[in-house]
Amino acid sequence: MAEKILDVKDLVVEFNTDRGKVTAVNGVNLEVFKGKTLGLVGESGSGKSVTALSIMRLIPTPPGNIAAGEIKFRDKNLLDIPLDHMREIRGNKVAMIFQEPMTSLNPVFTVGNQIEEVLELHQKELSPAQRKEKAIEMLRLVGIPSPEQRVEEYPHQLSGGMRQRVMIAMSLACEPDLLIADEPTTALDVTIQAQILELMKKLQTELGMGIIMITHDLGVVAETCDDVAVMYCGQIVETADVETLFKHPQHPYTKGLIESIPSFDSTTGAKKDRLPTIEGMVPSLFELPEGCNFQGRCAYASEKCKGSGGEPKLESIGNEHLVRCFHPLA
Amino acid sequence: MSEYLLEVQNLCKKFPIKGGIFGREVGAVRAVNDVSFKIKKGETLGLVGESGCGKTTLGRSILRLIEPTSGSVIFNGQNIVDFDSNQMREMRRKMQIIFQDPYASLNPRMTVGGILSEPMDIHKLCMDKSERRKRLLQLLDQVQLPQDALNKYPHEFSGGQRQRICIARALAVEPEFIVCDEPVSALDVSVQAQVVNLLMDLQKDLGLTYLFIAHDLKVVEYISSRVAVMYLGNMVEVAESSELYGGARHPYTKALFSAIPKPDPTLKKERILLEGDIPSPMNPPSGCHFHPRCWNATDECRQKYPEVKAESGTHEYRCFNPIQLQE
Repeated sequence: MAEKILDVKDLVVEFNTDRGKVTAVNGVNLEVFKGKTLGLVGESGSGKSVTALSIMRLIPTPPGNIAAGEIKFRDKNLLDIPLDHMREIRGNKVAMIFQEPMTSLNPVFTVGNQIEEVLELHQKELSPAQRKEKAIEMLRLVGIPSPEQRVEEYPHQLSGGMRQRVMIAMSLACEPDLLIADEPTTALDVTIQAQILELMKKLQTELGMGIIMITHDLGVVAETCDDVAVMYCGQIVETADVETLFKHPQHPYTKGLIESIPSFDSTTGAKKDRLPTIEGMVPSLFELPEGCNFQGRCAYASEKCKGSGGEPKLESIGNEHLVRCFHPLA
Repeated sequence: MSEYLLEVQNLCKKFPIKGGIFGREVGAVRAVNDVSFKIKKGETLGLVGESGCGKTTLGRSILRLIEPTSGSVIFNGQNIVDFDSNQMREMRRKMQIIFQDPYASLNPRMTVGGILSEPMDIHKLCMDKSERRKRLLQLLDQVQLPQDALNKYPHEFSGGQRQRICIARALAVEPEFIVCDEPVSALDVSVQAQVVNLLMDLQKDLGLTYLFIAHDLKVVEYISSRVAVMYLGNMVEVAESSELYGGARHPYTKALFSAIPKPDPTLKKERILLEGDIPSPMNPPSGCHFHPRCWNATDECRQKYPEVKAESGTHEYRCFNPIQLQE
């Protein structure tokens, strides 16, 4: 088994709002191994990004608050260490790529400047000339043509795909052990998405980092991840290795998600008349139902799910396959 | 009258680029370049392409929300490009549009009832009070929203429900043709499937004709009977949707389809990775616009602009070296 680099245990994140307290992340457990990719899937508001930001300790406090749990990075609990120490880890050992390459770069600095800033903070032994050299080298690594010239350019001179490459170059400048990619390709076109995903895979084999891939696109998960965790209303409802999850989904929500993707197989035979859907919508975190959070949309819901059985626990059904459901599918 | 509800012929849209101190025209972006296609009554034509390829400009030029530079749009046998504003207003009753972002396309200060009434007021439909109310409730029913939605404001609804309101607004004037401009891109997967189903049900019930614009090929392929692929303002391939996936002839179409991540981890991937980005439409490459990214490009592609080739009646493409199909 590969080395475990991140171990998140029973993470609870709460936000104080005008309407009261909401629990955005409720008891999440995650493990990331060296050189492996963990996919974190779910719809908007399911707590994917909040989980990621907690690992980076970037939850705005207040209103946010990590109420319980531990985030073990190698042998350190990231929640215990002081903030200025965290700054040495963040961007250095643990890095993050954000969703919007358009808004997460500073428009008034050249891209070279922004990559050098990371090095200036974390690799103080480098001289300015060496930093620039390293920035050029990073741009070359992520496949930007004529990096010597690009390093002097501003974000607005680059296309979306190029900007995302710059973001990746920045996050990898210090060769992190863990990379958190929060919807890295959602804002990009499919052909550019294919380039970026391929690039991330290549860099992972070269640098051996662990990746948390946050996405709502199950296609991206199937192509890039080794393990998958499916989130719903702040909880993990199912986790398994990627092949098991797609072949034998146990939670009705996972199954619904997989089925609601229009598939190309329909071209060979008669087209399905309707897409299978998950009825209804994600409940508000303020009005979570008793019992299972998914019961209102679930075809298999019984009295037990509606509150009499309490909240379902995330239980193992063998082979590191965990599911939070009273009636897992066969 | 022909079997086609909409015929677009050689449609062009150029946006001038102004430069210099006097703001003279120094160039033009050819957002839509010589595009022709036809849509049959009751059919859905899907329109795909990457950002900046001119999909949205094309959709809007058809409704004359953007004035086309040249070419004609023949709707129900009449060329609407020649219409004056009164005729056009009359015509817009027949042609509606659903926009991409359901958060930005609804007025936050109007109730749902007000939003749905406005198009009827403009076209003087159902002016009798009780008749109007009946119609509003019928619309809500058609898009599967509860009746008490009438007095609520857009912020009280989720993204999927707002898109239903947008659909109801488009349906209010009983159109024949709807341009759906990325109607499901902003929605979550599970909600996306609900809205796609709704659009297909409405088409069946009301005999609507759609131009369905999206960058999500899976959705387009699913909902459309025919699919058109655009690249840098040109339509590079049109075919039956069942034919296009397996039998793409244009290299760009092939690459586009191969780039979609498949939700099956066991599948062997034959991915064609396109090099580079889409060139700027301000300064498109010579010859075939796709040649700098194409692995089949020859000297001919670099010099000449390919003409449309037709095959088996419905399959058209613009390429000198189309992909050979394996039988």
